[in-house]
Amino acid sequence: MTPVEQLVLLAVASFLAGVAGSYLGVGGGIFLVPFMTLVLGVDLQVAIATSLIGVIATSSGAASIYVRDRLANLRLGMFLEIATTAGAIGGAVLAVHLDPRVLFFTFAVVVAYTAVFMSRRRETAKDRAYRAGPEARLSERLALSSIYFDHEDEGVYRYRVDRPMAGFVVSGFAGWLSGLLGIGGGFVKVPAINVIMGVPMKPAIATSNLMIGVTAAASAFIYYSRGFVSPTFAAMVVVGVFTGTNLGTRLLLRAKAERIRFAFAAFLAILAVLMGLRAFDVGVSL
Amino acid sequence: MIAPRVALDRMSRGLVALRRAVVTEVEDVNRLLSHVLRAGVLVAVGLIAFAFLLAWSGGGPVPDAAVKFRAIPSELLRLTPAGFLSLGIVVLVLTPVTSVFASLLSFAEERDRPLVFVSGIVLMNLLVSLLLGLG
Repeated sequence: MTPVEQLVLLAVASFLAGVAGSYLGVGGGIFLVPFMTLVLGVDLQVAIATSLIGVIATSSGAASIYVRDRLANLRLGMFLEIATTAGAIGGAVLAVHLDPRVLFFTFAVVVAYTAVFMSRRRETAKDRAYRAGPEARLSERLALSSIYFDHEDEGVYRYRVDRPMAGFVVSGFAGWLSGLLGIGGGFVKVPAINVIMGVPMKPAIATSNLMIGVTAAASAFIYYSRGFVSPTFAAMVVVGVFTGTNLGTRLLLRAKAERIRFAFAAFLAILAVLMGLRAFDVGVSL
Repeated sequence: MIAPRVALDRMSRGLVALRRAVVTEVEDVNRLLSHVLRAGVLVAVGLIAFAFLLAWSGGGPVPDAAVKFRAIPSELLRLTPAGFLSLGIVVLVLTPVTSVFASLLSFAEERDRPLVFVSGIVLMNLLVSLLLGLG
């Protein structure tokens, strides 16, 4: 492959990662890291560092739209960012002595379970709306519950944030992964916000997108100063992703929650298979 | 009993009012943050594009490794593509940090103490990672 072909391929892949990332509420690192190492033959650490830059671009590009349209929950995002940034620093600093195969196996199981759960649960207008009953103390204190306007049925929905502490702990774990693997960790955050905290799919994705950039920034500083960021690759990734998020956000705003949920479940299912293979040392890099 | 048409009319008026409430209630913070994020990405993309233009017009080679934080100003003064490319990347990485800072300011303006505290911790975490990166 000539260098120019390599760069063009990377820009195209980043475009797709940007579309998928902003539509699914993930940073896209989960696509970019394997693509760069497997297809382009880039060093793993360079791939991780460069993908972190891409993750920040996806997040900032997508979040600017979601924040403008009041889809992202700023207060909830900020609350969970305490956990994700602390986790990210932990993941980047502390070397954890854990057999990666155990990690991947655990992941495959959790992700597969989430995929099944998400594909089976329905989100109708009734599910989206505020549910009666007392609110969790912390949610009330920080006023985490919010409202959003859904383009799908032109409705304004008020929703409640349940189990804030459980979501907080899981987000910390997502942050830890981000520091460790150089990904945004959206595949953990979106289910945490949607399934555990009971936030409807669209605000969950928008909030996850907002948080990912902040989390990735925490690890990106450390990777940048170690000299792992390849500027040329990063440039291609940023330009590709930037174009991609412009399309992805537009798709999400109009999409049916049901369809997004299905797409996300399919994404998790594929991820579970890849991670399962990885756990048994079948050569798929992730 | 009210006629269905009147009920429908009332309901739609209620919805319009609710939607307006949603928009005005959270307008300031959201608009500010949206601008910060958008501007950060646009400036970064602009700097990167400028770096490539420089390289094509013979201003120097496109670098293999990013320039160290400390070396960026001197590279910029010499108008090298490496300097602008690295600056673009640094601007992009700083964009989410700026957005956290902007939220902190607007929460402070609204005297929303718990959220000021929460965003303060997030900002502190980010500073720690920045210091770890420099050190």
